Amino acid sequence: MTVLFLEQATKDYGLKKIGPISMSVPSGEIVGLLGPNGSGKSTIIRMSLGLARPTSGTVRLMGLDPLKDHVAALKSVGYSPELPNIQTFMTPREFLSLIAKELGLDKEERKKQIESVLEEVGLPSYADVKVGKLSKGMVQRLSIAQALLGPPLVLILDEPMIGIDPAGVLHFRSVFQRLSKENKTTVILSSHVMSEVESLCSKVALIHSGRLLYYGKIEEFIRNAVKSRMIRVELSSYPETLLSSIRNIKGVLSVTMKDSHLVVEAEPSVDVRAEISKLAVEAGVGLLSIGYTRDELGEAYRNMIRRGE
Amino acid sequence: MRLDRIAAIASYEMRRAFARKKVLALVILTILISTVPYYLLKSANVSIFTPDQYGYLWVLGILIPNGFFIPFTALLIAAGSMAEEYEQGTAEVLLSKPISRDEFISGKFIGGLALLQLVILLNAILTLSSATITFGDQSALEALPWTVGAQALSSVVFYSVAFMSGELVRRSSLSYIIASAVYFSSAIAGIYLRVIYQATLNPWYQTVDYYLPTSPVGSLPVLVSQQYLPPPGLLLFRLLGISAVENSIPFSLLLIIIYSSICFIIARSYFLYADISKKVS
Repeated sequence: MTVLFLEQATKDYGLKKIGPISMSVPSGEIVGLLGPNGSGKSTIIRMSLGLARPTSGTVRLMGLDPLKDHVAALKSVGYSPELPNIQTFMTPREFLSLIAKELGLDKEERKKQIESVLEEVGLPSYADVKVGKLSKGMVQRLSIAQALLGPPLVLILDEPMIGIDPAGVLHFRSVFQRLSKENKTTVILSSHVMSEVESLCSKVALIHSGRLLYYGKIEEFIRNAVKSRMIRVELSSYPETLLSSIRNIKGVLSVTMKDSHLVVEAEPSVDVRAEISKLAVEAGVGLLSIGYTRDELGEAYRNMIRRGE
Repeated sequence: MRLDRIAAIASYEMRRAFARKKVLALVILTILISTVPYYLLKSANVSIFTPDQYGYLWVLGILIPNGFFIPFTALLIAAGSMAEEYEQGTAEVLLSKPISRDEFISGKFIGGLALLQLVILLNAILTLSSATITFGDQSALEALPWTVGAQALSSVVFYSVAFMSGELVRRSSLSYIIASAVYFSSAIAGIYLRVIYQATLNPWYQTVDYYLPTSPVGSLPVLVSQQYLPPPGLLLFRLLGISAVENSIPFSLLLIIIYSSICFIIARSYFLYADISKKVS
């Protein structure tokens, strides 16, 4: 089932134009919206939620027009905006209660879900403290908590990890992954943090200057956008015969020793990690770790943006 | 439209408005305005009122604030009702939920209006208590609910003007300035029109005065209370210069309904059509 569908969706602000954007997000996916500031990520989100009217084109959320059928379209959608602006005179419990009332939850269900989401975001001990007295990170957690009420079938998060401590970031990543896996919740998140998108998302949409440069699987995105991929291999020892075998793998461009590990440069179209592992085992060498270096998505992103310009 | 969602937003709006210090200050001002004058009059031992008028002094505490204080309170509550949601960026979260824009704007309008009515009611209760404590038992109290009701209805005009300007400009300070300008322009124009009419007796000036938004607002509670008060009470009106511009209750009512409806319809139409802007300040 397609939960979000945009066809030639355009928003014309006069001096700036976003779109035309065409993309469809199937149920259960975790999709990352990537793009520089002002590229149009928030506009896409706002059009999807019926907060902004597209100048032309079609936007469907849960198969419905989010402007005309706002209530039905947004029934199972949770949204946490980029700047979690929450009334400071309210406590988290009061704020969540207001949101739960908007969602039409009955009293019993409200109470149950509020306790559950407060627990989920790590705010139970701050439930009755005024929002004005909470730190930025806590307000961000509260913003995520309100998005989790319902519970939602679609979770739209605009820069969700801003201000959250590293432990919190890891926790929320696992929460979003669990929701996607167990509840088939579709997660659409915009972020500037490549590692966040890389570790969480199965698909990525790259937006630049209001245009959708790429929408598809992350692996494919990296393969299309980088000239080569760097693999970091850590072994118990580095016999020359093994290094020579690795050099001979089809698709490997170069093999170099760097400090105490090996850096293998390979063509982006082939995945040579399995072959390297196999050769190490056959050579009787312990394979301590193997994986792509962390900034691949970043490099792909920068390359794609450059091409887009 | 679902009433529970409208009620949730209305209750939120009341709390939001009350949480602002300026509204709290207004409540304190209400208490002062409706109590202090009676105690001052009593302690000053002035003889501007005759003993047979003492029983009707509650009328003054109800009608005098109607000229300025109640419209001012209405402007203050309504000007930020929608505008502050945009300024603080809270509209985005609240409207990303399954709530229709009609439910949202109705809840906001009703919530702020309910707070305004509470201020009017508080003023009435404190006025009556103070008048009773200082000048003894009050009379013709059958006029009280009708007068307060008329005042409550009148207050909707400038409440709606400020609510509309808040939605159109989406800046609380600017909307307050615009709505205040409408109020003061109307009040000042009314004074000039009455002076010119008295000097020229040209009915055109009087007709224009009838249609100014301040005219029915000021007139309706006066016209309603006049229906119930006996001559000693009515003499108080002359003594303190309280008079109605309009001469008909139905006409005043009609103008109040027309002005309030037009403003709400404009605000609603714009809200339904326009984008929900992101945080603007």
